Amino acid sequence: MSDVYRDAIERLSHVPGVRGALIVDMGAGVPVTAEVETGISPDALAALAAALYERTARASDAAGFGALSTFHLEAEGGHVVMAGAGDLVLIALVDDDAQLGRVRLETQRAAETLQ
Amino acid sequence: MKHTELPHVVRALRDPLHAFVHESRARIAILVSRSGQVLAQHGFTSTYEVMNVASLAAAAHASSNMLADLTHAGHWKHLFHDGAERKMFLATLVTPLEPFVLVVIFDRQSSLGLVQLFFDRLSKTVARLPELQRGVERTDLASFEKDLQAGLERIFPVDAREEV
Repeated sequence: MSDVYRDAIERLSHVPGVRGALIVDMGAGVPVTAEVETGISPDALAALAAALYERTARASDAAGFGALSTFHLEAEGGHVVMAGAGDLVLIALVDDDAQLGRVRLETQRAAETLQ
Repeated sequence: MKHTELPHVVRALRDPLHAFVHESRARIAILVSRSGQVLAQHGFTSTYEVMNVASLAAAAHASSNMLADLTHAGHWKHLFHDGAERKMFLATLVTPLEPFVLVVIFDRQSSLGLVQLFFDRLSKTVARLPELQRGVERTDLASFEKDLQAGLERIFPVDAREEV
């Protein structure tokens, strides 16, 4: 694994409340690298999250809001925070009681290191 | 596969293949037996295209398996061709009856990850179909054309076919 990718994943994994992170090739919808809990399929997560991010980016563009920077999905058991980095998207899986402001900031910063 | 089994198999595969295409956002999908029988398709409008793709898919499957043997790779999970506009995914669908070959053509509305994900789900669905739980019967090369024609007649009814 490239040091840049590993560093970004490690940086994000150390943020309180982040229970997993992965970097995905957006075009292919496959994980470049992943650190997720047992029982979570990184392949399935990468495919679906990349499709979601890509579609949302297009919607943002169509709405005249320009390029998508981060995407936040809130669910019953937690959150998914995504940040784009060129052809890659960085995904953080977050506990529902985490400090989301910090997670979003760290996800954006980690994504910037991938550019 | 026996000719008498074909209508049941074709009927059983129709919905799972359509669900796969819908979920994966693929453009074209075709499911053929190893001998080239067309079992299900989505996205083709011409019998001629289906016939060619079915034949080439069966040939590509056979040659890639031979390549895997020669290189001691065991067997390929899937083949992927990344084109500028369209991409092709070719994989074996293992069923209790016999292995089938799935060929999927997709563009940037989908992705390799999505196709893989829903291919895995399609594999599980198809493996559980009661119509595919019968014994295995080998198809020899001599019956290839007959099987191919029989499959095409199921997929494209005579009145819906184009002149080729």
